[in-house]
Amino acid sequence: MIRYLIKNNFKLMFRNKWSIVVMLLGPVLVIAVLSSAFSELMKSYESVEEFNVGYRVESESMVSGYIESIREAGKEAGITFYEYKEGNPEELMAKHDLAGFVKFTKEEYVLYQSADDEVEGMTLEYFLDRVMSENVNVSLQMMNATRQNDVELPVQELEFMPAINAVDYYGIIYIVYFSWCGIICATGVFSNEKKYGIERKFRVSNVSEMKLYLGKFIPINMTVVGGMGISTIITVLLHGVHWGKPLLSAMIIFGMILAGNAFGMMLYQLSKNLAITIIVQFTIVWILGFLGGSFETYMFSSTPDFLKHLSPIYHGNRALVELSCMGQSEYVGSAIVYSLVITAICSAIAILAGEMRKRGRA
Amino acid sequence: MEEIILKTTDLTKKYNNKAVVDNLNLEIRRGEIFGLLGPNGAGKSTTMNMICSIVTPTAGSIELLGKNPRKQKKEVIHKIGYIPQELAIHGNLKAWENVELFTSLYGIKGEELKSTVNESLEYVGLLERRQEFAKNFSGGMKRRLNIACAIGHHPELLIFDEPTVGIDPQSRNFILDKIKESNQKGATVIYTSHYMEEVEAICTRIAIMDNGKIIACGTSEELKKLVNNEKEDITLEEVFLTLTGKKLRDYAE
Ligand SMILES: Nc1ncnc2c1ncn2[C@@H]1O[C@H](COP(=O)(O)OP(=O)(O)OP(=O)(O)O)[C@@H](O)[C@H]1O
Ligand SMILES: [Mg+2]
Repeated sequence: MIRYLIKNNFKLMFRNKWSIVVMLLGPVLVIAVLSSAFSELMKSYESVEEFNVGYRVESESMVSGYIESIREAGKEAGITFYEYKEGNPEELMAKHDLAGFVKFTKEEYVLYQSADDEVEGMTLEYFLDRVMSENVNVSLQMMNATRQNDVELPVQELEFMPAINAVDYYGIIYIVYFSWCGIICATGVFSNEKKYGIERKFRVSNVSEMKLYLGKFIPINMTVVGGMGISTIITVLLHGVHWGKPLLSAMIIFGMILAGNAFGMMLYQLSKNLAITIIVQFTIVWILGFLGGSFETYMFSSTPDFLKHLSPIYHGNRALVELSCMGQSEYVGSAIVYSLVITAICSAIAILAGEMRKRGRA
Repeated sequence: MEEIILKTTDLTKKYNNKAVVDNLNLEIRRGEIFGLLGPNGAGKSTTMNMICSIVTPTAGSIELLGKNPRKQKKEVIHKIGYIPQELAIHGNLKAWENVELFTSLYGIKGEELKSTVNESLEYVGLLERRQEFAKNFSGGMKRRLNIACAIGHHPELLIFDEPTVGIDPQSRNFILDKIKESNQKGATVIYTSHYMEEVEAICTRIAIMDNGKIIACGTSEELKKLVNNEKEDITLEEVFLTLTGKKLRDYAE
């Protein structure tokens, strides 16, 4: 019987044309309209060229064992490090035209940035951040190594700054973003069920909450998958967005779609109110997107790391962007697992809410 | 004596501490057309909704075909066909799609579903207009479609909650004839209304309900006797008015 629920919910969705149009054309239009703005947004990022940085390693610094590796990684990334044992960092920066200065103290590092070289400063910050997180692994190795010289920083893996252009970045990011807004497709189903008082009819039958849920969840996902597929193809053809590893990328997007729709279904089951569902969903997606790099690129955003990591959109964005420009990403797994966990939890809550509502019926 | 198909014992529903259905005891026998007559707000729909598991009773019990529908819902619910007072059909689905959707909820599928949908539409005289959207139907047609959506699974007990409100005499007679037809084919019918002549025309037994209570129950003859033994041509309406002690205009909301 679920087949007929799915079939008729499809009809209700597609007869509510505007929601489908929004779903289909939304990302295409946003990407088209904003693609010029994107390049503006990313100009600073792209204009970063090679630059010089000063540094000083204090005694007993944790990096003293592999400062050479850091210098090498810096060279790969277009950052040349010069050592200054003496002198005030600010004066040195002004005197030698350095974009920044790093002081490696015992357990941390202090970063000096020049106000004139803001972009370089952010790049350096990002670079150090990556290098230092690598260091956690390296330090562990060091404990086991007999001589400190055995340790090499894996320079090749230190692809510290994804070399991605504005169109690719935002082309990818907006597909992820809209994947999270798929619940809008369900407007036709939600509004009609409420308007025509259909729930009573479901009660006078054997249909389970699970079936009612899947009867909506499946067609919504199929529609959003179709919509995102079409949008992706259009943006690839129109704007030349590059995607890496099509199958993996598709899986990540699929996970995002499932999670977004499960979340929306949960909101609807809890509120039984279409307007509340849409408003809450869009607000939360906006916040997750804000944290996850949907507006300001995640490379440059000043959002604290732990907040970024909270946002499933960050995992999706980062995995897809890195797949696009490096062909691999450590975030693929977390993006997929995170979406599946959200899907499972939200679906369970949605079904449970329906069950409770049925039981506690006034 | 015939089998009791539905029995309510001290069935009560309170809203805001006010009993809208008050210790209701009903017995409906297999094969009858049972009329539940009462003014607006008497609690008829609430009673029907409790029987159909849409509303949870505050107290009391229901026995439906020997089962407790609250505990054994799966075993009995498909034996009920419920035609709600307020239309429950999808405006954005075509007539046949509505019937298909609601009939499929009872596990009917494939070819059987297809032929059942046509039968149900034929039954309410809408087969010709199966391809039209329900929202474009007239009030009477919507009422008929509402019925078609509830009969496809051949329920043993049909519950009509004021199926004739707001429709013209032709449609009304059509619906009443169909109810009789269903009954002749074996279905037990509960019919709620506040139109005396309808109830009198089709029902084998009638209960008069007011303020959540049954104030009289029996055949129309028995009810008439109850009020006035001498007067020959007393109408059911007079009985109703006498028993409920209200003028009809009070019932208008
Ligand atoms: N959900 C609810 N919350 C509060 N009061 C309710 C609710 N549903 C029904 N009532 C009240 O219960 C009473 C009985 O309503 P019900 O619909 O059962 O009457 P009815 O006999 O079907 O009337 P009608 O002939 O107008 O259909 C009314 O006073 C109504 O206001
Ligand atoms: Mg009513």
